[in-house]
Amino acid sequence: MTHRLPLLPPGDMKNQRDMCIWRTSAVLLLLAFVGQNRAGAADVSADNNSVAKLQLLPAAFSLRGHAAKQQILVTGSDASGRLFDLTRAATYQSLTPNIAQVNERGIVMPTGDGEGRILVQAGGQQAEVSVKVTEATGILPVDFERDIQPILVRQGCNQGACHGKARGQNGFQLSLLGFDPNFDHDALTKEARGRRLFLGDPEASLLLKKATSVAPHGGGKRLEFEGEHYQTMLRWIDGGAVRRVEGTPTLERVTIEPGDRVLENKEQQQLLVTAWYSDGSQRDVTRLSMYQSNESAIASVNADGLISAGTITGDAAVMARFLDQITVCNIAVPLAGDVSPEYYKKLPQKNFIDKHVWQKLERLRLYPSEPAADQRFLRRATIDIIGRLPTPAETRAFLKDGSPKKREQLVDRLLAEPEFAEHWANKWADLLRPNPYHVGIKATLNYDYWIRDSFRKNKPLDQFTRELISAKGSSFRNGAVTMFRDRRSPEDLTTIVSQLFLGVRLECARCHHHPFEVWGQNDFYSFAAYFAQVGRKGTGISAPISGSEEFIFNRSTGSVKHPLTGAVMQPRPLIGNAPPIAEGEDPRAALAAWITSEENPYFAKVMVNRVWADMMGRGIVDPVDDLRGTNPPSNGPLLDALAADFRAQKFDLKKLIRRIANSHVYGLGSLPNERNVVDTRNYSRYYRQRLRAEVLLDAITAITDVPETFAAMPAGSLAKELWTHRIESIFLDAFGRPDPNQDPPCERTGDTTIVQALHLMNARNLYSKATSDKGRAAKLADAKQTPAKIVEELYLLVYSRFPDTEELRIGTGLFDKEGTNRRIATEDLLWALLNTPEFVFKN
Amino acid sequence: MVGHRNCEGFSRRNCLQLGLGSLLGGGLANALRLRSNAAEGNKPTAKAKSCILIWLDGGPSHYETFDPKPAAPAEIRGDFEAISTKLPGVQFSKHCRKLAERLDRYAIIRSIRHNQGNHGAGNHYMMTGSPPRIPVGCGAFVSFHPSLGSVTAYERQSAASLPAYFSMPRMSRSGGPNFLGAKYAPFVVSDNPSSANFRVRDVALPEGLSNDRFTHRADLRKLVDHLPRIEQPVAADPVAGLDTYYQQGMDLVTSPEAQKAFDIASESDSLRDKYGRDAFGQRALLARRLVESGVPFITLYEGGWDHHGDIFSRFNSRMPGLDQSVAALIDDLDDRGMLDSTLVVMLGEFGRTPKVNSRGGRDHWSNAMSVLMAGGGTPGGTVVGATDRAGYSAVDNVKSPENFASTIYRKLGVNPDKLLYTPQGRPAHLVSDPTPIVEVMG
Repeated sequence: MTHRLPLLPPGDMKNQRDMCIWRTSAVLLLLAFVGQNRAGAADVSADNNSVAKLQLLPAAFSLRGHAAKQQILVTGSDASGRLFDLTRAATYQSLTPNIAQVNERGIVMPTGDGEGRILVQAGGQQAEVSVKVTEATGILPVDFERDIQPILVRQGCNQGACHGKARGQNGFQLSLLGFDPNFDHDALTKEARGRRLFLGDPEASLLLKKATSVAPHGGGKRLEFEGEHYQTMLRWIDGGAVRRVEGTPTLERVTIEPGDRVLENKEQQQLLVTAWYSDGSQRDVTRLSMYQSNESAIASVNADGLISAGTITGDAAVMARFLDQITVCNIAVPLAGDVSPEYYKKLPQKNFIDKHVWQKLERLRLYPSEPAADQRFLRRATIDIIGRLPTPAETRAFLKDGSPKKREQLVDRLLAEPEFAEHWANKWADLLRPNPYHVGIKATLNYDYWIRDSFRKNKPLDQFTRELISAKGSSFRNGAVTMFRDRRSPEDLTTIVSQLFLGVRLECARCHHHPFEVWGQNDFYSFAAYFAQVGRKGTGISAPISGSEEFIFNRSTGSVKHPLTGAVMQPRPLIGNAPPIAEGEDPRAALAAWITSEENPYFAKVMVNRVWADMMGRGIVDPVDDLRGTNPPSNGPLLDALAADFRAQKFDLKKLIRRIANSHVYGLGSLPNERNVVDTRNYSRYYRQRLRAEVLLDAITAITDVPETFAAMPAGSLAKELWTHRIESIFLDAFGRPDPNQDPPCERTGDTTIVQALHLMNARNLYSKATSDKGRAAKLADAKQTPAKIVEELYLLVYSRFPDTEELRIGTGLFDKEGTNRRIATEDLLWALLNTPEFVFKN
Repeated sequence: MVGHRNCEGFSRRNCLQLGLGSLLGGGLANALRLRSNAAEGNKPTAKAKSCILIWLDGGPSHYETFDPKPAAPAEIRGDFEAISTKLPGVQFSKHCRKLAERLDRYAIIRSIRHNQGNHGAGNHYMMTGSPPRIPVGCGAFVSFHPSLGSVTAYERQSAASLPAYFSMPRMSRSGGPNFLGAKYAPFVVSDNPSSANFRVRDVALPEGLSNDRFTHRADLRKLVDHLPRIEQPVAADPVAGLDTYYQQGMDLVTSPEAQKAFDIASESDSLRDKYGRDAFGQRALLARRLVESGVPFITLYEGGWDHHGDIFSRFNSRMPGLDQSVAALIDDLDDRGMLDSTLVVMLGEFGRTPKVNSRGGRDHWSNAMSVLMAGGGTPGGTVVGATDRAGYSAVDNVKSPENFASTIYRKLGVNPDKLLYTPQGRPAHLVSDPTPIVEVMG
């Protein structure tokens, strides 16, 4: 049989575009197909499920007013307890048509007052729900906040790209995503001389004419003429466009069903979103909510809350937002095919980390990779813990060591090295380091010293945090005060402190309610109030070099006001309780105490998540400092367990690193198997990472045995010892050290770029290091060593392993030719090895 | 007016991005970014294929360049007389002689003003179209927003195997990519093209390394490169990125076409003389060669315009050379029929104070400045706006740095009203006021 493609008319742009999209999706399908075939399993779809039981939600509910509606969610389960959605497969029948009707999608609508019943049948099973209808023909008054605002949100009117942006659109501005109903009501009823609404002739209102595209509207047609939303808005205007209908209950919370579900490839799941009001009433807002999936390739969601799994394995968080309430449904799409629970029981468990990772892999039906070879483990652990490559002597000794405990012993030895402090201080300096052009050189230098000293003492991270947040004194004497010299307003301090020590991005809430979180301006400015009394004395930021001294102290007065209401904000933590602030006490001390207390779940989590991400290549929460419900951890129990362990270990960084490094998971190989190639988030294999700029440069220095010289540093200094990113280094810039000019300055890039490739290839500095008369290549070539020994030494230096037979043959072959210059052969091999990914990446 | 192109503006690259973005599980930020790309309705048509931005760092005086005030009192007027230009009634300061003769072929904007009077902030405002978000010091090198060059690189890519954004001989203070990422940082050519042994750092082989030995090494590298690659794209092996860039780097080093772009020695002596045999003149010529090779954005950074003292003697020594080089660049582009597709812009962060100070210099003054704009459809013989009669402030047809940035973006076919998303998913307008300066749009 031949397979024919549709012929395309030449030059038809539209079809070419379709073609191009088709091609892309074909690639996707192909990939998915390959993955599935290898797994050797078929899709499981709802039709094939034998339904053992039906569960209906809500089992009983009320409908009030003629416009009320309720979606019924039908869930089946089979004999094994697996749950699957039958909402679209079920048939619905009203047993009391005079009370309520139901359509084929399972949506119940009122017809007459009384108590009714709806029969649901699916997969040979049946069940009923009961409904109580009141005011079935009553037309209820329309409340702006309860009824109109959800329509504006749902139609996208107040999105950041439309009327929600700070300068509005075409003179019409709404609050971003509708978080400020008073503002929006004013915008609709009072601005533009009231032209937006015509109370006398509601249909002539500009709002409706624009939204239905009767009048030209840049945003196009958003409302169906005569549709349900249109009717609601019409009734609202007709009723006087009131802000509040007396007695309207307020929205208290929103719930989602299901909250968690495992979906097979291409399986679908309908969501049911319910709003709960202050009077105890509830309302189905499934079709008034906004949905967004954080990984739509894994599971996408449509405007009606129907989730569709794709064919890619992994997790997705589907967010439903109704007004200012946000709720999340966590979806897991396992790899197709069967796995045996026995397999997971037999996997090695060296500590709790392994247990949690294996549980997650079992949920997604992934297999872990084989353990990494000893040399890979040695290189990985040495880089991760002390930020350098193992020396040839260390590699030889480790590989020769026959002890079954040698990996654990290695980790202990590395943790005791003085380089540990320099490496980890260098990482933390990324987060804290100010721009010396802003705060001055001395303040920057003191700050760097304070950070390094903390890591040299292995200061517990809670103590480190408390000292930093409540720092006082002179910028010339106490480096820790530099944060308060750098960030000078309570608002700027709130942003950095919440991001660094809570992993919460409060920045959004400075100007508007966080679009994906519960935080609003009240939260932001209550937090900022902790910094209201920070006093500064001496010389502040002064052009051009800010070189003078400044004192940070508690001035015992000062307040922060809410920018909209002007209310003086009382210091309040984001959640939980903070210690009271005694008269004359520095409010920052109370904040520091709260941050590091058990009242605050974020601190331990963000700390362990950062360290985990450094060592494992990706945060359990990613990005590492964006902890929120709509960005869930890839393994929640693991993050919780690590955080609890870290707290129990008194926030000891070395103990945390030891825990991670001693897990079986940390020692996995990076090469995938058939059942984990799709995984990039669940640690079924070790994720390769490019070496950090400083590690790479220090490695090149060590390998070539030619020291790097840095301005403003003693001779022989290492890159990881630099006190500011301003010290010039083309190499470090090329490999993505943070640019201190950027704000925020903490972003470090782990990407590869063409500049990096070119720099490794041709940089003069690297070339002269490799060819220096005093360098490694010269020494190796000059010594009375056999070519095999030279090759072996180079492999140990650059790759931290011995060459295999093939590599030895290639390497020694360079020396075999007649008239070969030993030095040149050594240099060329050195250059070639330094330019390969095996050197540049952690494996 | 701007045509509404909607989906027609989609290239194959967009389609692939859609596929790969979701394939790599790019998450919310990517999804948002894609949506913003797709939603971009009014993508302007590009007049200019490339832009050469001449950045006179420090802030050149408007009095001593394109906005002299011969009728003002001596302490404002300064030492130089005004000369007439090709345009009747329009005068330049005396050292802009060659440019004055060519005013029929480009435009001068005399009415841009802003409120950022120190170098760090002024540079940021003009280089990105966005004021710094927090007050910054004078010496600051800050970046809160992607620069004109980085955005152009992000939107346009390079036609050749060359990087899309060059900066010579260094990066300007705020010329970086900010949240667009390192991929869109400028490729800096610090080497001096006026020197006899000019080579481009990292693109030319290091001195002492022969071509043969380089080839031998590259072959050897292939032989010893044994790290297994994870072939399946879904595994997102970062090694694949390095492999791609390594190959591109190899192409750059070995492709005759790319090397040709840097081969300034192949230009005739007479043309090289016309540009001026100093570093700036030869960089301007090199910029033209890069434009010919399809590079969309080149910044020529030229420091030394912060004339707090001795402004007249320093203009005497520097300005004639600059005048010659820029005039030669306009002539050369015009002669080759490239002027219409190449936008040349010259400016600094601000103008200078009206009264000559006690050190014989002028200080920072952001109330008035002059900007030169040539090519890329800019109508010649245009003077936009005016300062008051003593040059204190732009008063007529006043324009903002936002208008300036929007003009450049529109000419380059980039929608200044575009919504970008930071990796954290935060929306950021490319330019907050997307109105271009219509008089120079052509």
